[in-house]
Amino acid sequence: MQVNGAWREGWARPGQTLLDFLRDELGCTEVKKGCGRGDCGSCSVILDGKLVDSCLVLALQAEGSSLTTAAGLGSRENPHAIQQAFLEAGALQCGFCTPGMVLAAKALLDEQQRPDVESIKRGLSGNLCRCTGYTKIIEAVQKASGQGTGQGGED
Amino acid sequence: MQIREHLFPESVEEALALLAKEQGRARLIAGGTDLVVSLHEEKVPCEVLVDTARIPGLGGIELQGDGRVRLGAGVTMTQAERSQELMRRAAALPEGCGWVGGPQIRNRATLVGNVVSAQPAADAALPLVALDAVLELRSAGRTRELPIEQAYRGSGGSAIDPTREMVTAILIRLHDRKEASAYSRMMRRQALTLPVLACAVRLRREGDRVSEARIVLGPVAAVPLRVKEAERLLCQGTYGAERVESAADAAGAAASPRDSVFRGSGAYRKEMVRVMVRRTIQTAWSRLAGEGGKP
Repeated sequence: MQVNGAWREGWARPGQTLLDFLRDELGCTEVKKGCGRGDCGSCSVILDGKLVDSCLVLALQAEGSSLTTAAGLGSRENPHAIQQAFLEAGALQCGFCTPGMVLAAKALLDEQQRPDVESIKRGLSGNLCRCTGYTKIIEAVQKASGQGTGQGGED
Repeated sequence: MQIREHLFPESVEEALALLAKEQGRARLIAGGTDLVVSLHEEKVPCEVLVDTARIPGLGGIELQGDGRVRLGAGVTMTQAERSQELMRRAAALPEGCGWVGGPQIRNRATLVGNVVSAQPAADAALPLVALDAVLELRSAGRTRELPIEQAYRGSGGSAIDPTREMVTAILIRLHDRKEASAYSRMMRRQALTLPVLACAVRLRREGDRVSEARIVLGPVAAVPLRVKEAERLLCQGTYGAERVESAADAAGAAASPRDSVFRGSGAYRKEMVRVMVRRTIQTAWSRLAGEGGKP
């Protein structure tokens, strides 16, 4: 499969989740394992353009697919606008949910350039954060979409 | 989870042949959002997965020659939720689909899977019952149509055997100008949670009265519950507050929700059934009034 633009190969067992395959076979540990049952969204990846929980997709179902993880959005030196906005808005504490959150935000902004707050909440509704209370995460997504939050924040 | 093989047949016939060969040890998988969790928890005995992903022709929402809309077995909640045609002419269905899980789940979960999982709270299945949906069911050598209500066993669970047969599509009729539907849901938080109660309503209007009604509730019984007495009462004479209240009362009387730590006491939910039914009828009627001009 193509992960963040590069072809990667590995042996997947029947029944192995895409999440376990990405982490254990390909070393993509930026994909976080939270609940393992589709409740928390921390294992979110963008699979062929669609946001999915990688714990609910089986690795073999993703054979030949193109996939983006948080590491594929940007790097420490050159962060994606969404990642930068999360930093600037202080939209993380422990950071465990963040890879999934930024991908949910990416999937949302790919479809709607300037979502309103309700659309942002809905777009992020599959991702749980136990630290921030969401307010700053919503601000970060507004910021990333070029919408001011009352304190400037155009990118 | 001890899965021995994960197979990708390229036709329905091939999928059915694989199921037959494994004699109950194989199961169909589409979106996997229910099944993968069940497999992890070892709730479902299964050694072989027969994946529907590479079978052509399952992914579309298409108007058929006979006026029915065919929702292929691969159609996801996201597809249904975003269909303009369904929103305009079968609103309860995309409304229900929009409540399933979060975006990640809706991008994978299929409507057919929602029916075959047979949860009494299923947000796609309740509107499908209200729409009198019909399932296209294929088993070895045979295709038949099964009204959705018959896809449930009375005691709960599905009457469809995913180790042996395959639902290839759901067929629905779109509303004509005299029909409208609505879906409403009561829940503890606004996303990623099962409903405390949900209600799907479809109404047909003739003049100042409801001539045909479907009122479907979940989860208040082992299966999505169609409240026929409430439907009958709603059609008795001129539409108005009195008719709506009598239907709501009948629904409250027919529902037997269990006490639940998560969903609330049975007594509370029985009371809330009346509120939900009343509101959902009113929403559907207001849409009818909008279509036909003057309410």
